[in-house]
Amino acid sequence: MYEFLKYEVRDAMTADPIAIGPNARLREVEEIFENHDFNGVPVVDDQRHLLGILTKFDLLKAFSLDAHALAPHYDTIMEQPAEAVMTRDPVSVEPRLPLSRLLQKLVEMRTKSLPVVENGLLIGIVARQDVLKALRRATIQHEIPLHQDSPS
Amino acid sequence: MTTLLYTHPACLEHDTGFGHPESPARLTAILNALRAAPFAALEWRDAPQATAEQLTRIHPPAYVERIFARVPRQGHFALDGDTILSPQSGEAALRAAGAVCAAVDTVLRREASNAFCAIRPPGHHAEPNQAMGFCLFGNAAIGAAHARAVHGLKRVAIIDFDVHHGNGTQAAVERDPGYLYISTHQAYIYPGTGHRGERGIGNIINIPLLAGSGSTDLRHVWRHEIEPALREFKPQLILISAGFDAHHMDPLAELNFSEDDYAWLTRRILEVAADHCAGQVVSILEGGYNLSALAASVAAHVKALMEAPARDHIP
Ligand SMILES: [Zn+2]
Repeated sequence: MYEFLKYEVRDAMTADPIAIGPNARLREVEEIFENHDFNGVPVVDDQRHLLGILTKFDLLKAFSLDAHALAPHYDTIMEQPAEAVMTRDPVSVEPRLPLSRLLQKLVEMRTKSLPVVENGLLIGIVARQDVLKALRRATIQHEIPLHQDSPS
Repeated sequence: MTTLLYTHPACLEHDTGFGHPESPARLTAILNALRAAPFAALEWRDAPQATAEQLTRIHPPAYVERIFARVPRQGHFALDGDTILSPQSGEAALRAAGAVCAAVDTVLRREASNAFCAIRPPGHHAEPNQAMGFCLFGNAAIGAAHARAVHGLKRVAIIDFDVHHGNGTQAAVERDPGYLYISTHQAYIYPGTGHRGERGIGNIINIPLLAGSGSTDLRHVWRHEIEPALREFKPQLILISAGFDAHHMDPLAELNFSEDDYAWLTRRILEVAADHCAGQVVSILEGGYNLSALAASVAAHVKALMEAPARDHIP
């Protein structure tokens, strides 16, 4: 019943996730979102040090109305580098963090995924879906049914 | 008495490029709406070209020359990311500013009660020395300066209800007590000016509204800020910078005005005009980028102009 409390982030995360460099164009980032079910993509340097995270929200924000132009210059914005709009110094988690703690963080921050970092290097990404999957795994064998459905 | 409609075919020839929101289709939509039966009494007039004298009351001669020097023989020339010139842009800009001066002349000569200038390019972002935000010449400021210089008016009020702050108009009039400039606009969007603290010499009233503001907020600021300031100023002429991009369907902003709000505000302005300046109002098209919302809003605005209350007194 309390199996879930034994899980750590590393048990649930996606290891070696797709990441982009700081100079990737927003157009390429959008393509990644189009082809993968990611909500955000980590931004790393050549050694895979985590520099930031670029989420769909950051991407939308880049196109929102502001004081710089009367109408957003949609084409020009698509050519901007990731580092211009990414969230810097993102919250990250360690691989040994209990998954229950991660769950707590995801709820409090209302965030959809967090990068997993060990010694400054990106080693994984962990999302809501991963935690849900772990919850299912942790509860499925131990579930005591309230009543037995009669076979028809 | 009549309401005049000043426009010119050249204003349809100012081409800002494929997909640009400040398109000729805006004016086409407006003119089509104003050709409908309820507007049969509108008196259509061709806008003359503004003269160099009229333009240079606001813009230095070198600026005017610079704009015309950049008008391309073919294709487009971008003054900035927003502000694009095409071969007919110079002519359109002359007709736009000229429409306002002619409308001021006609209304002040009492040949008509009021006038609407259906023109483009718009003007309220154009500063004396800087074209920007789709604008080349400060049409409203040029009209106001014309009224002062030629007709000897001492006090001209400009009410700007475009969703963007009219930085250009403000820059042109902020040092001269003969002008009162009042602007409602959405806070924190283009051009980033129009804070409450920008008061000129006490003749500028900026009323930034937060995203989502609508009818109730408009009525509130009219009652508590715009109307009292306007009446205290005792304008001899009221110009309206009539942008319709505060409409709830406009793609470039997030205020929630409706056609009815524009009609309501127009009637309130006309009431003040009737009390202080024999109803003399000249309204000038600025922004508005959803074609059907723009056409409906202009129709509501012009209908209100045509139904202006009778003049109470001649000052
Ligand atoms: Zn505007």
